Amino acid sequence: MKLTVSGVRVALDGRPIVQGADLEVGERELVGLIGPNGCGKSTLLRSVYRALRPTAGLIAVDGDELTRLPSREAARRVAVVPQETPDDLDFTVSEVVHMGRTPHKRALDRTTRDDDRICADALARTGMAHAADRRYAVLSGGEKQRVLIARALAQRSGLLLLDEPTSHLDIRHQLEVLHLVRELDVSTLAVLHDLNQAAAYCDRLYVMSAGRIVAGGPPGEVLTAELIEEVFGVRAAPVRMNGSLGFVFDRLP
Amino acid sequence: MSTEALTAVPPTGRRRTGFSLLVLGLVAAIVVATLLSVGIGAVPVGVAECWGIIVNRLIPGTVEQTWTAAQEQIVWTYRLPRALLALLVGAGLAVVGAVLQAVVRNPLADPFLLGVSSGASFGAVVVLIAGPTVLGGLSLPTAAFLGALLALALVYALAQRSGRLTPARLVLAGVALAYLFQALYSFVLQQAQSGRAAQQVLFWLMGSLGGARWENLPLPAAVMIIGLGLLLVQHRGLNALTAGEETALSLGIPVHLFRAQLFVITSLLVGVMVAATGAIAFVGLIVPHVARMLVGADHRRMLPVTALLGAVFLQLVDLAARTISAPQELALSIVTAVLGVPFFLWLLRRRA
Repeated sequence: MKLTVSGVRVALDGRPIVQGADLEVGERELVGLIGPNGCGKSTLLRSVYRALRPTAGLIAVDGDELTRLPSREAARRVAVVPQETPDDLDFTVSEVVHMGRTPHKRALDRTTRDDDRICADALARTGMAHAADRRYAVLSGGEKQRVLIARALAQRSGLLLLDEPTSHLDIRHQLEVLHLVRELDVSTLAVLHDLNQAAAYCDRLYVMSAGRIVAGGPPGEVLTAELIEEVFGVRAAPVRMNGSLGFVFDRLP
Repeated sequence: MSTEALTAVPPTGRRRTGFSLLVLGLVAAIVVATLLSVGIGAVPVGVAECWGIIVNRLIPGTVEQTWTAAQEQIVWTYRLPRALLALLVGAGLAVVGAVLQAVVRNPLADPFLLGVSSGASFGAVVVLIAGPTVLGGLSLPTAAFLGALLALALVYALAQRSGRLTPARLVLAGVALAYLFQALYSFVLQQAQSGRAAQQVLFWLMGSLGGARWENLPLPAAVMIIGLGLLLVQHRGLNALTAGEETALSLGIPVHLFRAQLFVITSLLVGVMVAATGAIAFVGLIVPHVARMLVGADHRRMLPVTALLGAVFLQLVDLAARTISAPQELALSIVTAVLGVPFFLWLLRRRA
C-alpha cells in the first residue's frame, strides 16, 4: 500500500494550518513525521484519516483519492491509532480489537470465525494474546497502546497512521511500542515527538515547520544540527550509540 | 502468528453461555412479571387462569375455561394491554437511555436530558388544561408528540453548526430547552382554572400506564419495535462512538451523520412514549448502567440486555404503583425513583 500526499492545505476555523504538504509512504515503509508543536503535523495526519477535509491538494492510497471514497471503504484502506482514546473504556481487550472489524461489517452482519481469527492474529502480533479477556481499563499505558495497535491491525488496511504513539509512556514502553511498530511490516506514517527515537526507528523522516514540509529523506541525511537548530530552535550535538544516530540538545545561547 | 494465540483468544465460550443464560433468565422474568401484573389487582386472577385466558384468546378452544367472563374481561381488555405497554415503554426508555449515553458520551444522559420530554409534556399540558378545542381538536398523545417534535427541532437547530452536532452543544441546548418548556408548562398549570385538571396533569406528567387500551397500542408498538430494531443493529457504530469521535471516524463511521440519525430516532421514540405514558423518570438512566455492570459496554450484548431489563423493571414498577396504596395508583416516577435511586447509589458505591 502506498500513500501519496501532494499539495495538501488544511485550515482550522478558517486559519491555514497546513500550507502545501507533499509526502509519500512506500510499501512497508515506516515513515516519521516530526516538527515542533503547532507545526501542523497532527493536522496533516488527521486529514489523511478524514477527520479534517483539506482545502486543496490530493491524498491518495494506491492511486485512489481518499476523500472520494465512502467512509467504510476509506477505513478499509487506512487504520489509525489516534491520540485521544478514553482511558476507562469498559470493554474487554478482545472487544476493543473487534472494533477494528467495523468497516468490514454491514448493520446486520454477524461476527464470524474469520473475524475472531483476524483479531486473535492481531493480538498475537502485538504480544497481547494472553490479555484478550482482560478489561481494557486496567491495562498499563504500554499495554493499552499495544491493544489499540492490534485494533488497527484487525482493520486489515494497508496503511497504518500513528499519532504520537509513545506519548504518556515511560521510556521502556516507548521503545517497546516503536520496536513493535517497526517489526509489523506494514506501511506506516507516524507523528513522533522524540527526534532520537524517530531517527532510530524510521526508514525515512519528514520535517514539518510552520505548516510546510521543509525536509524529507533517510534520518541520517535529514537530521543535521543546522536543520534542528533552524526548525526546533535548539542546539543539537550528534552522538553515536551502537552505530545509530542520536543527538543531545541544549538551549540556544 | 502463533497457534497458542489462536486457541487462547477466540469465542470466549464461558461468557457466551453466561450471556445466553442471562437472556433466557430475563425472558422468563418478563413472562412471570407480566403474568403477575395481569393477575394482581382489585379483582385477583390466578396465574394459571391468566395464562389460560391469554392462550385461549390467541388460539381459541385450546384451554378449558376455569374463569369467569368478568375475569376474562378485566384481564384481556384492561390489564394485558397495560402490561404490554409497560414492557414496550420500559424497553424503549432503557434503550434510548443507553444510546444517548453513547451519543453524547455522558453517563448522565437519559431520554429527558435533551429537552424532548419537556416539549412533549408542554404539548400535553396545553391540551389537558385548555381543552382539546384550543389546538383544533388534537388528542393528548398527538399534542405531546407535536411538543416533542418542536423541542427536537429547536434542540437540533441550536446544537448544530454547519451540519455538525457536537455532544457538548447537544447537552447544553437540551438542558436549556428543558428548563424553558418546564417553565412554560408550569405557567400554564398555574393559570389553570380547575384544580382537578391541574392535578390530572401533574399525575400524567409523572407517568402512568392507566390509559393503555388495545386500540391505542398499535402505534406506539409499531414505532417502538421499528425504532428499537434500528437502534439494536447499530451496536458496532455505538461501540466505536464510545471509543471517541476520531476512533469512530477512523473505523469508517460517518460520525456526524450517524449522530444526527441516532438523535432523530431516539427523539421520535421519546415523543411517542411520552405521548402514551407521560414522563417516566430514571428508567433510561439506571437500566443501562445495570446492564453494563452485567455484560460490559459492548453494545452487541448490552443493548438487548438493556431492553429486557427495562421491560421487566417497568412491569414490576407498574405492579408496585398499582398495589402499594391500592385503590389509589401512584405515579410511576415516584416508584422508579424510590426503587431505583437507592439501588443505583448502592451499585455505584460497590463498584468504586
